[in-house]
Amino acid sequence: MVPLLQLQDVTFGYDREPVLRDVNLQIHDCDFLAIIGPNGGGKTTLLRLILGLETPWSGRVHWAGGGLPRIGYVPQFSTFDRNFPLRLRETVMMGRIGHRGWLRRRTRADGEAVDRVLTDLGLAAFAEQPIADLSGGQLQRALIARAMVCEPEILFLDEPTASVDAETRGTLANLLAELNRQIPVVVVTHDVTAMAVHVKQIACVNRRLFYHGSGQLSHSQLEEAYGCPVELIAHGVPHRLLHAHDECGNE
Amino acid sequence: MSELALFFSYEFTLLALVAGLLASVLGGVLGTFVVVKRLVFIAGGISHAAFAGLGFFYWLGHDPLIGAVLVAVAAALFLGLFSEGQARSQDAMIGVLWAGGMAVGVLFIHMTPGYAPNLMTYLFGDILTVAPRDVVLLAILTAITLVLLAVLHRGLVAVAFDETFARVQGVPVRVLTLLLLVLVALAVILLIQVVGIVLLLALFTLPPMIGLMLVSRSFGLVLLAAVLVGMLMTAGGIAASWTMDLPTGPAIVLTGIVIGVGVWGVKALRFRFRGNS
Repeated sequence: MVPLLQLQDVTFGYDREPVLRDVNLQIHDCDFLAIIGPNGGGKTTLLRLILGLETPWSGRVHWAGGGLPRIGYVPQFSTFDRNFPLRLRETVMMGRIGHRGWLRRRTRADGEAVDRVLTDLGLAAFAEQPIADLSGGQLQRALIARAMVCEPEILFLDEPTASVDAETRGTLANLLAELNRQIPVVVVTHDVTAMAVHVKQIACVNRRLFYHGSGQLSHSQLEEAYGCPVELIAHGVPHRLLHAHDECGNE
Repeated sequence: MSELALFFSYEFTLLALVAGLLASVLGGVLGTFVVVKRLVFIAGGISHAAFAGLGFFYWLGHDPLIGAVLVAVAAALFLGLFSEGQARSQDAMIGVLWAGGMAVGVLFIHMTPGYAPNLMTYLFGDILTVAPRDVVLLAILTAITLVLLAVLHRGLVAVAFDETFARVQGVPVRVLTLLLLVLVALAVILLIQVVGIVLLLALFTLPPMIGLMLVSRSFGLVLLAAVLVGMLMTAGGIAASWTMDLPTGPAIVLTGIVIGVGVWGVKALRFRFRGNS
């Protein structure tokens, strides 16, 4: 099977030192991939390379169709201003920009697509509220709606569980599993426990990509990635795909 | 009432009023982007750097406006291109341009033989002495800005809200940011005449801040609110300056601050009496 996305020997950094070295990764059509690893290990950088926001020093990022496909992207809360004067509906509408080009005026089809996604994600009742008034969980769903409204071929989420409470994490994981029935989902996270039940593949990144696959992560593999002993907690009912773990040390 | 009639009977006061209203449109529209994108100090750096060009062209015996425009646009492009991923050095660079521009400008004006222009006019502005040519230029720039806003607003708002997402969507974030900075640079030059270099940041920051306090539902409405607040501020400032014989620049700025404090006070009171709802 031809992978949707293939990274071959990708090396990249911001200054002289590479942040990522010789990274190889494949994403296939039905994947639910978690990219995990310690803070500062290059998870977000890897995501930026995949999204085409950075160009690798060497190696290549190759998409099956040649160019970038339509990408759904859910950023961290910290990358935008929560008090920005926008209604939920307008925020989701921004996801349509990539659909036909940023210079085009919005059409009726855009409005219908937005309404559909808002209904699907249970946000229709809040459509006219300013985003500043939304709860963390509602805002998170709004960002997913904004990503989904462009009818993406793949969905990326950067630390989706970082700013929401435990209950929301559960619903979020179920939602992503549902979306995963149609498109591949890639989650960058330092907290894999919330997703553990649904995640099918794991890539462990710390400067290099240490593990990539769908079997159980072993102690030694995690220790190699984190550079220190990591406590593993058995997890993953009902099909025990992986063990979860704490961050090593404080970082 | 007769005083008001007198005000409207002079050509220069009417010109000042028109200049003030145009400046409000420019300051409100561009300022809202400047405020939400946190470019306030870049705008400050550009305006002060421009003084170098102004002084240099004055010394050469050319139109100082052209020198100011050249340096301001160059500073805007420089700071815009310098910005990616180097926040600390950019911050320091703004300081260098800020002080360096003023130093060069003052030096050249000092070296120019003959009658030295009133530095105070450049620093604090005097809208009552605004020339017809400046009003025409203001009108042209305002029209260009509004047309660009109408055509590019989807991209501009997307960039203002969430740059990374906009880039993933294929919006040319860099080009739009540079375009915004160049428009700010041009506006800054023309606003020097209205409120002066030191005070022009008030026209970029006060109306958008008040607009953001008044509106939370729509970016477009914030733009509109900022423009209206700016108009109230400039018209009020000119009126205060006319009736109480005050310098116009400070009168405009202080009117804006009074409006801002008033809006904030009313919001705080309403919040207190209605509770958190």
